[in-house]
Amino acid sequence: MLFGRNQKKPIKIADKGVVDWKYTTCGYCSTGCSIEVGLDKNGAAVATRGAASADVNRGKLCLKGIFEHELFKIPGRGDKPLMRKNFYDAFEQTDWDTALDKVADEIKRIQSTYGRDAFAIVSTGQIMTEEFYTLGKLARGVIGTNNYDGNTTLCMSSAVSGYKRSFGSDGPPGCYDDFEHTDCLMAFGSNLPEQHPIIYWRLKQALEKRKFPVIVVDPRVTMFAQMADIHLPVTPGTDLALLNSLAYVILDEGLEDQSYIDSNTTGYDEFVKTVQHYDPVSAAKICGIDEDTIRHVARTYAKAGSAMSIWTMGINQSTHGSDGVCGINNLNLMTGNIGKPGGTSLSITGQCNAMGTREWSACSGLPGYRALEKEQDREEVAKFWGIDPEFFPKKRGLFQTDIFPAIETGQIKGMWLIATNPMTSMTNTARIRKILEKLDFLVVQDAYQDCESNQYANVYLPAGVWAEKEGCFTNTERRVNLIRNVIKPHGDSKPDLWIFNQMAKRFEQGEKIKFPETAEGVFDELRQLSKGRMLDYSGMSYEKLESQKGLQWPCTEGDETGSPRLYTDGQFQHPDGKAKLLALPFIDNNEVPDDEYPFWMNSGRVVEHFHTRTRTGKVGNINKFSPTPYMEMNPDSAKELGITHGGYARLTSRRGDSVVMVQLTQRVPPNMVFIPFHFHECANRLTLGLLDPHSRQPAFKQCAVKIEAVVDQQAAAVRNKEARAF
Amino acid sequence: MFKVRKDEPEYAYLPDVKAPQQNQYGKKIDLSIEHGELTGQSLNINNDTSISDNPDRYKQHGFYFNADNCISCHACESACSEKNDLPPYLAYRAVGYVEGGTYPSYTRLNISMACNHCDNPVCLKGCPTRAYTKYAEYGAVLQDPDICFGCGYCTWVCPYNAPQLDMKKGHVHKCNMCVDRLEAGLKPACASACLAGALDFGVIETTPENRDQLKTSIPGFPTAEITNPNIRFQQTKTLPQDMSRTDATVLKYHRNDATGEYEPMLDEQRKSDKKDWNLKKLLTSHENAHIAFTLSTQAVIGAFFIVLFAQYFGNDIGYADFAANVSSAYLPVMVTLLVLLSFGMAKLNLHLGRPHRFYRGFYNWRLSPVSREIAGVSLFFTGIAGYALFAYFNNEITGTIADLSAVVALIGGVGGFYYMYKLYRIPARPYWNHWQTGSSFIGSAFSLGGLLIALLVSLTHGLTMTAATIDLSAKLILTGLLIEAMGLVFHARNMKNSHSEGAVSHYEQTTTYGKSYRLRNILLAVNIIAVALIVVYGLSGVGGMVIGILLSLSILLSAVLGRALFYVLVIPTTMPGAFFWRNKGFEEHARETGLAEMPQTGVLPPHH
Repeated sequence: MLFGRNQKKPIKIADKGVVDWKYTTCGYCSTGCSIEVGLDKNGAAVATRGAASADVNRGKLCLKGIFEHELFKIPGRGDKPLMRKNFYDAFEQTDWDTALDKVADEIKRIQSTYGRDAFAIVSTGQIMTEEFYTLGKLARGVIGTNNYDGNTTLCMSSAVSGYKRSFGSDGPPGCYDDFEHTDCLMAFGSNLPEQHPIIYWRLKQALEKRKFPVIVVDPRVTMFAQMADIHLPVTPGTDLALLNSLAYVILDEGLEDQSYIDSNTTGYDEFVKTVQHYDPVSAAKICGIDEDTIRHVARTYAKAGSAMSIWTMGINQSTHGSDGVCGINNLNLMTGNIGKPGGTSLSITGQCNAMGTREWSACSGLPGYRALEKEQDREEVAKFWGIDPEFFPKKRGLFQTDIFPAIETGQIKGMWLIATNPMTSMTNTARIRKILEKLDFLVVQDAYQDCESNQYANVYLPAGVWAEKEGCFTNTERRVNLIRNVIKPHGDSKPDLWIFNQMAKRFEQGEKIKFPETAEGVFDELRQLSKGRMLDYSGMSYEKLESQKGLQWPCTEGDETGSPRLYTDGQFQHPDGKAKLLALPFIDNNEVPDDEYPFWMNSGRVVEHFHTRTRTGKVGNINKFSPTPYMEMNPDSAKELGITHGGYARLTSRRGDSVVMVQLTQRVPPNMVFIPFHFHECANRLTLGLLDPHSRQPAFKQCAVKIEAVVDQQAAAVRNKEARAF
Repeated sequence: MFKVRKDEPEYAYLPDVKAPQQNQYGKKIDLSIEHGELTGQSLNINNDTSISDNPDRYKQHGFYFNADNCISCHACESACSEKNDLPPYLAYRAVGYVEGGTYPSYTRLNISMACNHCDNPVCLKGCPTRAYTKYAEYGAVLQDPDICFGCGYCTWVCPYNAPQLDMKKGHVHKCNMCVDRLEAGLKPACASACLAGALDFGVIETTPENRDQLKTSIPGFPTAEITNPNIRFQQTKTLPQDMSRTDATVLKYHRNDATGEYEPMLDEQRKSDKKDWNLKKLLTSHENAHIAFTLSTQAVIGAFFIVLFAQYFGNDIGYADFAANVSSAYLPVMVTLLVLLSFGMAKLNLHLGRPHRFYRGFYNWRLSPVSREIAGVSLFFTGIAGYALFAYFNNEITGTIADLSAVVALIGGVGGFYYMYKLYRIPARPYWNHWQTGSSFIGSAFSLGGLLIALLVSLTHGLTMTAATIDLSAKLILTGLLIEAMGLVFHARNMKNSHSEGAVSHYEQTTTYGKSYRLRNILLAVNIIAVALIVVYGLSGVGGMVIGILLSLSILLSAVLGRALFYVLVIPTTMPGAFFWRNKGFEEHARETGLAEMPQTGVLPPHH
């Protein structure tokens, strides 16, 4: 009361009345932040805070985490199971038994009529590890379809494939602590400040203590590119040419770690032969980075005491995503930067539990990084579950991106979608719509009744979300962390684990296999099944996970701390114990801009949204930062086309069109636009999504579009508004 | 007291650093030196009577913003909104940005801004209700929504858009510096949440670890001279010469190479030459009440002064005829003036978020021009009411009281009028901060006052007027119109060439509202010529009456249009917004298209 009044007034500050904090792990991205949810005296979730002593986030949260408690009360949640004969009929409420019986009957009918693989299951990266494992048990051991995959094919499949090809197994070898030790960091198609703000913060903290060069490869001037010491504005889809050229310079100038190569890798000669085609002069013409810069970057990286690479969708979502990952691995293997502090190939994962599904869901094989192709793996799992190993197929079935075309041509008749929304997330929306219409039977299991894929469901099963359930997530750095049950699931919705268990009971084979009731009971099976393997969980327990705020695998029995890095001993998972240097010829098969479609269309994430906005699109305090879709466009190109800032423009590709609000900025080059992928009926109406030959991941980020000004701006605004419900 | 966790991370604690004696504005940082009597008391936060032992409790604190580092991750603003339980449509802290350069040498400069707890809190000085207090504790400027009546004047005077007028709740609220956290030794929620090493907090003029600068300006930040804000910056990276805004304000910040400072100016790249009417926006703004209030008050004050003038001096200066006319129309004149003034005051009161708290308008008469304006106008109202009543009777006592009432009205009218002008001279609003505001108000008093009297006299005399009355009225109106026109000419020239938001106001005036602006100017010119002709040739007959009516309507239309432009065109020296959030253009779009009907859009729909 310096001045203003004489009588001191009491100060009022909002007090949410938190009486108890419950421990969880964030349910958005894969950074794996430990979150405490504050409950008031009525047991309502009213606040969120970062757990202070958690190593990952050290008390910090990004904006999505900060408002995560609001998830429990946002609209659009499913309350009761719903059923209808045809997707064009109206849904009717039903009870769980009727709905589950119907699903089981339909699965049996379809399988007996068209074969076991005619029913597909497509899951997610969003549910708990215990639920993934249980779903895997159900899909592989009970229902027995080989067309079972997760939506991680849309995001991390290339990383998985690349890790497997280079190192013999999936599993990111590094950790966030590597920032504290590295002498050079190179980021490929990764925009940490926007996609993984907490990981960016960890990097920034390391940089405050000790400066080291940061190199960012991105066609867009993201905040990360702007903060970098060197920004390489690469031509979209040409990272592999750049990577090969970096390898060329390193070999040409003798900067490789020959002793590491000799003792830990195979394939050197073939690799060298292929790299010879990518001298910087030739590569510069492909990737758009000048030859001097390529040499400069290669020298900086190779000469650094330890150097690390991170990447995200810029690599994974391209026609050579898997090769791009292998190219990064090549770079790190040839410079001896695997398994040492500050030297690693670290894929920055997207979904909160993409790692959990990779490890345990049995989508691409069998639980615990086991392969269907290996007899020993099949026998181990069959024995553990108590079934006949011959029940398992001997080769993995279709990826998500091949399941949909198989529906298109009638091989697959029924599908079960779990916590995934292909109507918004997959490329070429028009085609996906047609495909979903063709299904005999679609069951959608999701927390959100208003997720767009539900438009084509015959049965809708309402599931609990995040801390309405209990279980574990694994994060980007292999840290298994715990989500305690905070409140009970909304309305009559149920935990996914419960749904899977109930479904299992409806199959003959399901009665034979043990399906533990509780998540912790399932976790015990994971510990047993992982014992002695690379992803060893046996030293973990729920109690230990909570007290240590997560543990990194491998964590063998008796191990108190877990392991920050893989391959520290140079022993890889290929049968010969060595990593592979891979020859990776660059094939330019992208749909590149031409006279008719002169612009690149690039898509990506914004910090305030997660995936298809079924959650973030309803939390006002984060959705408000981009409540409606937009595209970034270069003002010079816009001027030529008569397109104005803040108005709407129409984009057309060979697939369809989209009307989008325009944000003019020099952040993008004159021949490119950038559209956040989160919005329904927007970016993916245009995308082509050529598939990577190894990972079957679609190239979301590269296609060609044309752009025209919209004369009737009002009609455009109406169209934009009507295209989405939230 | 705010509960500190046992394992609270180190970055959340206020650092223990030595502060200098004085801040860059020459003010003592230790506030207990001059205000020792205020120390050692509880802040009484949520009825907690404990007293913090924070050793720096009586030092001025402030935010520190490293603009080199901000990545616009929104963690600060979200942490703030979460802690203060704010609805999506409003925020105490916001991140906007300016950008410049050409791909790929492009730079975006993000700016996170809340309240700067200024040394010269113009919000506190402007607030008529004394809802604001600057505390000796931390130098925090806190606002009490329970006192506020929602006039929004603080949101006009603050150059940083810190106070937020909550249209749903009908009052203002703002950043409270998280004094509850400070009392517990912790930095505010926003600074503790920063993910980029950009936002920090501490005793003012102290540099956080690893930082060097203590600047008081960065591009996009209004001049520190207005309020002496308690925020310090670091901004070392060289920026492009032009940094443009992305929100609907067509403004850029251009580096003056002589000073190295960035100055606001019109962004030529983004401007369009299309002229528009925009009548709907012009005539349906939230400030409509002010159009009604200022015009009616000015008309009534003008008219009453003319009445007084005629009464007391009419005979002496050869307008006995006019005086007689007015005198005989005395009752309808006074009643009309009272009704008109009541109408204006009611409009003003009803536009408050909390109209029932109107009586608090006087509370801050020591500091606030708004309080003084309200006091003046209320006094004026009392004066003319008294005059109307007592001049009605014809005896000596009532005559004296009437005379005294006239004096009261005179004082109130002059005072109210002056502060009505004064309250618009806001440094944070360059378009208003010009003498033209005064000339416009005086002009309106003459022209509308003259017109009002002329109309009333004519109405009460069977639609006839003597030549002398016409002559005097026309001269008064002409004087008003000429004063108004002269001000407008100088104002337009000044704004056009200014290095401030005024240049953008002028641009909007000639484009977005270009047709409305032109119509007003044409009307004003036509009115001046017509009234000048009447002064020279007089007015008579039925034709004269028709011309008189048309001219009256034209003068009124021009006045309303002009005043509406005055309110809608002002562009505050506020912080740059983002593409959606804090972008007036998008807010309007969301309201027009119905996007605002979804609460998660973060824009209040129009019916609020």
